[in-house]
Amino acid sequence: MLIIVVLRLWPLVLGVNFSFTGDGDRNGTWVGLDNYVTLFGDPLFRTALRNVGLLVLLLPVAVAIPGLLATFVYLRVPGHRVYRGVYFFPAVLSPVIVGAIFNLLLAFDGPLNTLLGGVGIGPVDWLGDPDVAIFAVVGVHVWATFGMALVVFLAGFSTLDPSLLDAAKVDGASLPQTVWHVIIPSLSRTIQFVFVTTMIGMLTSMFGLLFVMTSGGPEGSTYLPEYYVWIQQGQMNQPALASAASTALFLIMLVVGLVQIGILRRAGKEE
Amino acid sequence: MSGTRLTKWVVAVPMAALALATIYPLVFTANVAMKTRREYILDRFSLSGSLHWENVVKAWTSVGMSRYFMNSVIVVACSVALLLLLGSMAGFALARLRFRGSSTLFLGILAALFVPFQVIMVPLARIMADTGLIDTYPGLVLAYVAQFLPFTIFLMTSYYSTVPPEIVDAARIDGNTVYGVYWRIMLPMGAPALLSVGVLNALFCWNDVLISLLMMPSAEHRTLMVGVTSLRGQYSDDIPTFASGVLIAAIPVLVVYLFLQRQIADGVTAGSTKG
Repeated sequence: MLIIVVLRLWPLVLGVNFSFTGDGDRNGTWVGLDNYVTLFGDPLFRTALRNVGLLVLLLPVAVAIPGLLATFVYLRVPGHRVYRGVYFFPAVLSPVIVGAIFNLLLAFDGPLNTLLGGVGIGPVDWLGDPDVAIFAVVGVHVWATFGMALVVFLAGFSTLDPSLLDAAKVDGASLPQTVWHVIIPSLSRTIQFVFVTTMIGMLTSMFGLLFVMTSGGPEGSTYLPEYYVWIQQGQMNQPALASAASTALFLIMLVVGLVQIGILRRAGKEE
Repeated sequence: MSGTRLTKWVVAVPMAALALATIYPLVFTANVAMKTRREYILDRFSLSGSLHWENVVKAWTSVGMSRYFMNSVIVVACSVALLLLLGSMAGFALARLRFRGSSTLFLGILAALFVPFQVIMVPLARIMADTGLIDTYPGLVLAYVAQFLPFTIFLMTSYYSTVPPEIVDAARIDGNTVYGVYWRIMLPMGAPALLSVGVLNALFCWNDVLISLLMMPSAEHRTLMVGVTSLRGQYSDDIPTFASGVLIAAIPVLVVYLFLQRQIADGVTAGSTKG
């Protein structure tokens, strides 16, 4: 029994301990809020914050796409089984692989521009234009992860009471009406979950894509806080500043997550 | 009725197009990997006339992908084995053994689940440097275990909670020690969940780039994903070799996905339906 406790507790403490040492920003001397002043004075970090704002705005789209697709799959569109398997696949690929593949596809002289050129749309510098690059990266991220949300939505659908749908059908509800009045209210918990996890995913798992596709460029336009943390820690060797940035990231996530849950709760009550 | 059937076919077309858009990038890459450089520059889209496996061979041998591949296999295998062992032990204990502070402990694990790696990576890097574990296999394995253990424990605990407590009691009465119960009963019973969690953890570790970039600075310790990123710099003018490297890194995932798709989906959704 003692052995089990030791075997069991020690790694837990280790894991939990590792997870919580994150708050100790400043090592050595006390410098007050200097790191935070530096942080918010850095145009790169401000770009990163602006990009976070952009992600929050794009979030409903990133949730609606898998939600809609899951609805269609659930309603047994022809070939739904195949779609489920196919859509989910990119979700298991590494961001590095996805990023590398899209590096080829989105290159200035790459296939996508050739294709667009064929229908008369001029070449777009997907990853080289500061105004376009962040959308390209987010687009690829959505491409890579919508399958994950889709599967979660489908799991939510499986808890749905089929008689509700039948009732809606008997009442002659159209498809949009069914979605709006039956499916969305019954799945509010799932929708909430997908919102929060998608946001967390956008804030914490785009590193691989950024690293491979743009390295934060062009002109620092695709910086996100997590990439900023890595640059300060791994490249510039400024762990204190990196810690300040990661604490800021954590606070952003907390605030965004809580606000989202608040909004969704209230929306749910008004139904 | 025919109205809804029509609607279904109308949405089926864009869905098929989207499915195509989901697979095509990978097919494109595979096709490029089989071309010569000349073929690629002349025409990106056409099917490769003959299969040029020499690109793959080149990526595998001269660039060092074989080395990175082995690094990844070693680290992932050790991490997953350790995660499953510790995760199932802790899950069994938290779900079926009441001990002082067990619920506090579970809350702590839940909290750890929501702390993203970016927030702890700076102190973690320092700890690893201080203990001399940085740039070693055990160091990276430990980092992965620390990162994915909360998730593993969470899923194993919720799985073991569904096991009737009578089974544990009966086994105890039969004279098994707690350890015996774990080893003879709980571990075999947990097999489906262990498979699911194991596959997911293997994918997480295999696909990770940030942790490995942080923990393994030297070139000979690179994992496969970091190797792919370095490939991009070295072979920017030799796209087929680059594509071959990408393909080498993607194929194991593809194989795992084809065989264990259901387990992966189960693992992903297990957390959501409980919440």
